[in-house]
Amino acid sequence: MKTYVYHITGTHCASCKILIEDVLGEQELVKKAQVNLKKETIEIETESEQTPEEIAVILTSKIKSNGYTVSVEKIIKEKENDGVIWKAIPIGLLFLALFFFLQKSGILNLGIGGQTTPITSFIIGLIASVSSCLAIVGGLVLSLSAKISEDNISDTKTFLLFHIGRLVSFAVLGGVLGVVGNAIGINFTFTSILGIIASLVMLFLGLNLVGVFAKNKIALPSGIFNFFRRVEHKTFAPLLVGFGTFFLPCGFTQSMQVTALGSGSFFSGFFIMFAFALGTLPMLLLLSFGSASFAHSRYAPLFFKSAGVVVIGLGLFALLAGLAGLGIINPLFNI
Amino acid sequence: MNKTVSIIITLGLVIALGIVFFGGSSKPQEGENVVGGKESVEIRDGVQYITIDAKGGYSPKVSTAQGGIPTKLIVKTNGTFDCSASLVVRSVGFQKILQPTGETEIDLGVPKSGEPLVGVCGMGMYSFWVNFS
Repeated sequence: MKTYVYHITGTHCASCKILIEDVLGEQELVKKAQVNLKKETIEIETESEQTPEEIAVILTSKIKSNGYTVSVEKIIKEKENDGVIWKAIPIGLLFLALFFFLQKSGILNLGIGGQTTPITSFIIGLIASVSSCLAIVGGLVLSLSAKISEDNISDTKTFLLFHIGRLVSFAVLGGVLGVVGNAIGINFTFTSILGIIASLVMLFLGLNLVGVFAKNKIALPSGIFNFFRRVEHKTFAPLLVGFGTFFLPCGFTQSMQVTALGSGSFFSGFFIMFAFALGTLPMLLLLSFGSASFAHSRYAPLFFKSAGVVVIGLGLFALLAGLAGLGIINPLFNI
Repeated sequence: MNKTVSIIITLGLVIALGIVFFGGSSKPQEGENVVGGKESVEIRDGVQYITIDAKGGYSPKVSTAQGGIPTKLIVKTNGTFDCSASLVVRSVGFQKILQPTGETEIDLGVPKSGEPLVGVCGMGMYSFWVNFS
């Protein structure tokens, strides 16, 4: 019987200890596993004759998918020099300023008259994807993408599922709107509340990306966090979030929903909403896969912090606008 | 990048954002009570009509009308697909997504003087005010 002490990374929360000990305790070569969260170490009792390095590789392979790594040497985190945040704030603000300036300039208020065909709804989708709707849907995509990439979860699959969920739900719900001719999902209070929840998620993830919570390691109460971690790995969650974007408050989406509503048949509603979602796709794909590729590059720390600043800005905007939309506060600004 | 430089750039960007958010209208030619070069408030047959253009925001953003007479709000859309099409006027309980092109008439009843009317779009980033004198 030997006892090894390894370094472990990725332990966000108290429940990580339970999860890791559970998973590793089930392995044959492990007699006992004990995580020390404070020191970020794990003590393994084993009868295996393999070298400590080999055991570390085997153990890592079991919990890698959950975002943890076991190593003999302490993995030195990218040195968290304060310089990064000072670069990230102006970069993030620059993107925010450009984005809102673009809204204010009125370039995006293109007139599209006449009959709404799938082609026009595709174009409207393209416009919507760079409009103020980006503040909510795009902000949510950016924050989730960056967070998922940061946690080293298989991001490509998650993103694809999200976008597929989005396309399919838009098409099907559009078709349903066409048939029913009744207002599902365009209840103002409901969408506003959903928008406020989305903005709170963005604010939370944004603060997380900037690193506000990094010091005390408390991200969420461990129970909730554990729930999220488990859900993240399921196919269902990204599909569901994609589905949920149908109901997020976005003027363009709502206009298209009304158009689908008036279209009178399943297929015309189906194609109008599908073409619209397809139009928004390029920008959203760019956001999710763009952030993933940055996340795996050497600019990762800078990217996460800049993305965090952008997401906090968009989240605040969405929150204040959402509260104004609900009539809780007076409208503060006109973009 | 040097920390001081960065702080200066940050301040500059914050000011720029402030101007974008709270600065003047992007359509300077449309002042108060003017829409599309015409008077936006008129009284016909004892009924006051207030016209608001909804496209990429509301215009005029601030109107002044008389209180104490029957008033109707007319919201005009013209190829409007953005947020301004989903209009909320809480004080009269109006919530609707307007047709992309057309006119919508909203009965405001008899507004009291000194109680401004606020209309916002569903997401809350566009708004207009009507002051009743």
